Amino acid sequence: MQNNKKRIFYSTNLEMNFGGLYALANINIEIFENEAVGLIGPNGSGKTTFFNVITGIYKATGGTFCFMDEELLGREPYDIAKKGISRTYQRSRLCLNLTLFDNILIGMYNNQTAGYFAALFNRKKLINEVKAFKEKAVGLLNVFNPDLTDKLFNPVGGLPQIDRRRVEICRAMAGDPRMILLDEPSAGMTPDETAEMMDDIKKVRSTMRNVSIIIIEHNMSVISSVSERVIALNFGKEIARGTYAEVSNHPEVKDAYLGKEV
Amino acid sequence: MMTRTFNFIDFLKIAVIEVAIFFLIMVFFNIESVWTLVAGLILVVAVVVYAKVWKRQFSSFAEIFSSNKPAVLGVLLVLLLLYPLVGPLMIKQNTYWLLTLIQTGIYIILALGLNIQLGSTGVLNLAVAAFYGIGGYTAGLLALRLGIPTIITLPMGGIVAALFGTILYVPLYKTKGHYMALVTLAFGLMIVLALDNTEFTGGPQGLKAIPEISLLGYSFLTKPGGLHFYTNYYYLTLFIVLLAVIISYRFYNSWVGLTLATTRDDEIAAKCCGVNSNIWKGISFITGNVMIGVAGALYAHMIGFISPHNFSFAESLLIVAMVILGGLDNILGIIVGTVILWILPEKMRVITEYRIFIYGILLLVIPMFRPRGLLPFKPRKYHPSVVKVKD
Repeated sequence: MQNNKKRIFYSTNLEMNFGGLYALANINIEIFENEAVGLIGPNGSGKTTFFNVITGIYKATGGTFCFMDEELLGREPYDIAKKGISRTYQRSRLCLNLTLFDNILIGMYNNQTAGYFAALFNRKKLINEVKAFKEKAVGLLNVFNPDLTDKLFNPVGGLPQIDRRRVEICRAMAGDPRMILLDEPSAGMTPDETAEMMDDIKKVRSTMRNVSIIIIEHNMSVISSVSERVIALNFGKEIARGTYAEVSNHPEVKDAYLGKEV
Repeated sequence: MMTRTFNFIDFLKIAVIEVAIFFLIMVFFNIESVWTLVAGLILVVAVVVYAKVWKRQFSSFAEIFSSNKPAVLGVLLVLLLLYPLVGPLMIKQNTYWLLTLIQTGIYIILALGLNIQLGSTGVLNLAVAAFYGIGGYTAGLLALRLGIPTIITLPMGGIVAALFGTILYVPLYKTKGHYMALVTLAFGLMIVLALDNTEFTGGPQGLKAIPEISLLGYSFLTKPGGLHFYTNYYYLTLFIVLLAVIISYRFYNSWVGLTLATTRDDEIAAKCCGVNSNIWKGISFITGNVMIGVAGALYAHMIGFISPHNFSFAESLLIVAMVILGGLDNILGIIVGTVILWILPEKMRVITEYRIFIYGILLLVIPMFRPRGLLPFKPRKYHPSVVKVKD
């Protein structure tokens, strides 16, 4: 079924070993163009570690992974970000003192052309660029919550949790990535907010053409409504893959979440 | 929308207030009795409290000032340019206060240089004084030993300080946070010890008789129109301070400022957005050192004598205090902080024995009431036209 689509990411035997503890072992995951994949598993099953490895924050201890036909094993995070992988974090990593605009603008860092010397000597170019990027930031915020555009120059610290997460998603989208990694977007939210967040993720897909999404979630309603494929991890190993229905009925997945009968 | 038309009445109000403050400051310079000084300080505090309590009356003035920034800055610049001409008529110890103002200017350059490192990037450089010294010694040695003209030694002070900064950054970038501060602390102490023990730099005696600045054949020891020769240095320092302010402003309101701020607040998030944080921290460290080094060169040429004692750790702490007290990453705040921490103690020389005591109390009290500095940092606007809402 996926054969007509281009494969943009794959890992082969990816392994992450923390001093004898295998946080990831033998991970072989493929991501195709323009799809949304859910990554599930109980706490400590290696989901976030997987994100940290493929964004370069951790260096994998074995195996390799490729993105857009390029091996990225051992690359620095900023290098990998330049290739087109962006992410959000389980615990929000926004700069709370800085404004919404600053936080979204930094997501476009790879698209900027007015650097150190333009800042001093070519203000016109810089200002025009910032203005163009502001349009884009406003456009992104309008998709999620038009009220936020009025607060563009307020610090992010004054926003409620859901809006912070929206800003973080905007930051991840701003740089036109090819793959977005969402790490528990609904963490710490009420059921109503979770429902809003689900809509937001669908909006990401409808606004951005040509982007693949990997989403880590504990909330199964989010997974079932957003993702086309689901991969389940437990103790750093893949235990099931397929559609949500297939995975959720997989005996090993049930065991992993609910415990085995003795 | 606000009307942006030029309002002559507003301009007059601004000019009158600024001129009044300008003359009050000169009167303040003239105060010699302890009690008048205390009364004056109480009056200033009273005005600040008044502004806090009767916010409405005060805010109408604040509004005029904030909406006419070019006029405010223009009048301020004219007053600063006129000061050396008005000073001799108004101030009894004019030469002393001229020198104090020049030193304030030098500290503003130092504090703005440190602010790029500490305020914008979060790199706590406890070796500011060492880089200040490197700039000073470079200029002094080049001028004394090789007879190189000052138009070259001034920038060379900055360049050599940047070179030392680059060397120091090699071990520095592998450390983080407090450990980074420790490495710079060690470097600062090392430099002072090295200067103290090297024959070539004059050892503890330092460098004497460093030639004065002369630009395009104009010696800075000549007295322009009968005024003191410090007047020359006053204008040069003012020029370099303006340059430092413009550079700081442009960095703050650009990708550079944003990149550095994100690196400071969350390095991992910055990296995952594509920022090579180690390179940027280095760029900020070295840029700051250029400014600090130029200030050192200026100081060496003006005073004509430097010794390792001038660049001790206590000096670094003073500059760090100026930045933190004034407000990290807020250019105006840092200027205010520097002025308070340098001019107030100079003025308080009349109360000799309590001077350091009051200074200490000031250092304790300001952070209590303003934990984020006198003026906390403001949202980055890039340019007024960026913020403007489209209708």
